[in-house]
Amino acid sequence: MEIIYILIPIAIGFVCLAVALFFWSVKSRQYEDLDRAGYSILFDDPKPEQPNSPAESTEHDNDRV
Amino acid sequence: MSQSLCYHCNEPVPASAGYTSLIDDQAMPMCCPGCAAVADAIVSAGLSDYYRYRTEKGQQQDIPPQLASLIAYDLDEVQQEFVAHQGELREVLLSIDGISCAACAWLIEKHLAGVKGIAKINVNTTTQRAVLVWDGRQQRLSDILAAMAQIGYNAAPFQVDAQERKDAQESQNFLLRVGLAGLATMQVMMLAVALYTGYFYDLEQSFRDYFRWVSLIFATPVVLYSAQPFYFSAMRALFALRVNMDVPVSIAILLAYGASCAATVKGTGEVFFESISMFTFFLLLGRLFEQRARRKASENVSNLQKLVPITARLIEQGEERQIAARALKVGQRCRVLPGERVPVDGRLLAGNSQFNEAMLTGEEQPVSRVIGDEIFAATVNLHQSVELQVVRVGAEQRINTLMRLQEQAATSKPAIALFADRVAQYFVPAILMIAALTYGIWLQIRPDDAFWIMLSVLVATCPCALALATPAALTCGTNRLRQQGMLVKSATVLEALPRITRLLFDKTGTLTRGHFSITQVDVLDPTFKEAQVLALAAALEAHSSHPYAKAFRAYRNKDYIAQRCHYHVGQGVEGWINGQHYRIGRAGFASANTQVMEGMILTLADRPIARFAFQDSLRSDAHEAIQRLQLHDLPCEMLSGDPDPHALKIAQQLGLTHAHHDCSPEQKLAYLKACQQRGDKVAMFGDGINDAPVLAGADVSVAMAGGTDLAKCHADLILLGDKLAPILAAVETARLTRRVIRQNLALSLCYNLAILPLAVCGYVPPYLAAAGMSLSSLVVVANSLRLLRRP
Repeated sequence: MEIIYILIPIAIGFVCLAVALFFWSVKSRQYEDLDRAGYSILFDDPKPEQPNSPAESTEHDNDRV
Repeated sequence: MSQSLCYHCNEPVPASAGYTSLIDDQAMPMCCPGCAAVADAIVSAGLSDYYRYRTEKGQQQDIPPQLASLIAYDLDEVQQEFVAHQGELREVLLSIDGISCAACAWLIEKHLAGVKGIAKINVNTTTQRAVLVWDGRQQRLSDILAAMAQIGYNAAPFQVDAQERKDAQESQNFLLRVGLAGLATMQVMMLAVALYTGYFYDLEQSFRDYFRWVSLIFATPVVLYSAQPFYFSAMRALFALRVNMDVPVSIAILLAYGASCAATVKGTGEVFFESISMFTFFLLLGRLFEQRARRKASENVSNLQKLVPITARLIEQGEERQIAARALKVGQRCRVLPGERVPVDGRLLAGNSQFNEAMLTGEEQPVSRVIGDEIFAATVNLHQSVELQVVRVGAEQRINTLMRLQEQAATSKPAIALFADRVAQYFVPAILMIAALTYGIWLQIRPDDAFWIMLSVLVATCPCALALATPAALTCGTNRLRQQGMLVKSATVLEALPRITRLLFDKTGTLTRGHFSITQVDVLDPTFKEAQVLALAAALEAHSSHPYAKAFRAYRNKDYIAQRCHYHVGQGVEGWINGQHYRIGRAGFASANTQVMEGMILTLADRPIARFAFQDSLRSDAHEAIQRLQLHDLPCEMLSGDPDPHALKIAQQLGLTHAHHDCSPEQKLAYLKACQQRGDKVAMFGDGINDAPVLAGADVSVAMAGGTDLAKCHADLILLGDKLAPILAAVETARLTRRVIRQNLALSLCYNLAILPLAVCGYVPPYLAAAGMSLSSLVVVANSLRLLRRP
């Protein structure tokens, strides 16, 4: 039974760590948007040949309209 | 194809619209050129994953997006208000319309990643906002907003509500407190199991003391940090010479903690660490839910407070330049082009035009103004370029007097005494007196145990369930209202609704749809079909800004494109379609020989081919909803700003016996006050800016989803659909919620009363008190959850 004199202080250390992690996660605003992160895995990274430039040029044409 | 749905927004595709977009090499039907343009922009940027993973459909697109108006956001004077500078970079918080799921956020971020000069863009789907950091030298803000509009999202800077700023900070603190209390409570409960076991088996004194010390370590942050909100709230109440639920809560926590600490140090008596921790955790959890709901509401309000830069075209020494409207001074001249919003109150110097004064009166019907007439800020110039001289600026403008009136009305709004607070008023002093009496009596009988027994009275009767009773029921009731198609802005509406005795309705936009629709089409020339004349008329009316023109929008067809169109002020439009000359407009304008006809005439080469009649139609269920409300003994009245006595006929159609028309916003508010003075609890339904003061003053205010942002900002309840009937469901839900609140209070009071005599007699050991408290809280929460069953 004497072992608890060592084990419980270790457990206290772990709880302190958990609390610190929790505080960090709240303060870095990870709980602000709970819907978002779950989906991010579904989306691929941009396709290799970046077809962005045509989109950009039409955009500039558009705002002169 | 005629029955298909738009692949982008899921609206039905009108017959013969014929728009498609190529998505993943398949032609998908689109309902309008707006949606098609958006879909093409998304696909050409290589972002078609959006369509694969979205969980909600997109928004139907308006055509064409008003990109020109965005340029005003680039003026430095305007940016001062909402842009923060970080060295070379600028940061702005944007509110974005139309974000419905995570795919939208991805789409926006990926699309903007390709725009140069953007340092960071972070979209939050829950709040429908984005943080944008960009390089002001490389990119203009208007171009970035235009890039978002191109894929179908309208973004604008907005004013963060003062309430929200407070709520955001508070809700983060609450989360920290709850998390800490939860983690600590788990540890203390684990040790408590060991200590409870010690009651039945022998636990060595040294281990018992060790467990108590460890429990003390874990309970301390809970008492000193997590429970702080209760102490502050109790202190505030005591300073105001009142008592609230937090007073006995604080006393119980602090006394129990102090006594347990003393017991731990001395190694005698009882410890209550697990009860304190669990008690704090449960209470905080209830408050967290309540707080979340409040925060959501204030975020919605902030998102509505978009900062639309108002610019004016100042004329000085014959030259025109654009400045911020706030910089205008009395006596200066400025120009207002057709379609623009009037920036300031002024007098017409040149040009006659018609104005849409819906902002002030709620009526879409244009009003003619001639030279010398006064025109008001925020009205819209419909036809001709005009020049005006500034008469009033700043707070004295008509629109701002409305805002002030609305603020005054809001501060004098009758406060709702929450039922739980009234119960607490009696319950709390009673508990405190009983605890004091118990202490006094036991001091005579067994002085050693007196303190412990008093404490167990406080802990056992601690109104945990009582404190949870109302927030739990209100949270569930609010969710139920959302299922029924209503957005609740303040939870007090659930307590106020069942007490309503009178309902007041605005006419235009509330009882009616607020826009004209075509009620009748007479084809005068048998060689044309109805669909054909509608398409022809729609093509011509695309070049008009008259309120009637919107009615044709649904009939646009890309096979009919009008060219060389000319718009005649107050008369109609003429133009060429497929090589033939058409006119549409008032009878006298469209054709010389049809003077007697009413409505709008379409002519081909001076020969009438069709006639259209318009009406601002009633909401489809207005009649039924009003009849049913009146059956429930809720008298309904109409309070309209429409100067046309025709308004009274609509009231008659609906069976409204009391109806008033031609009311200014001040008169509406005065009428509401008169009703309230007679002892009525009044619910007001409105949609316009002119309704904002009366909405702010009403006991319950309801805005329509299609209403102005200002009206929605100040309403307690927003009807999301196009119908009035949900209000009946709301009254029902409010009654149910009130019943559940009363049941909850009764249950928790019963428990407290039942355990009180036992505790007073000293028969309640700490573990039983803790178990009883948890059980009563669970019963209350379970009872509240019944409200979530599908109605």
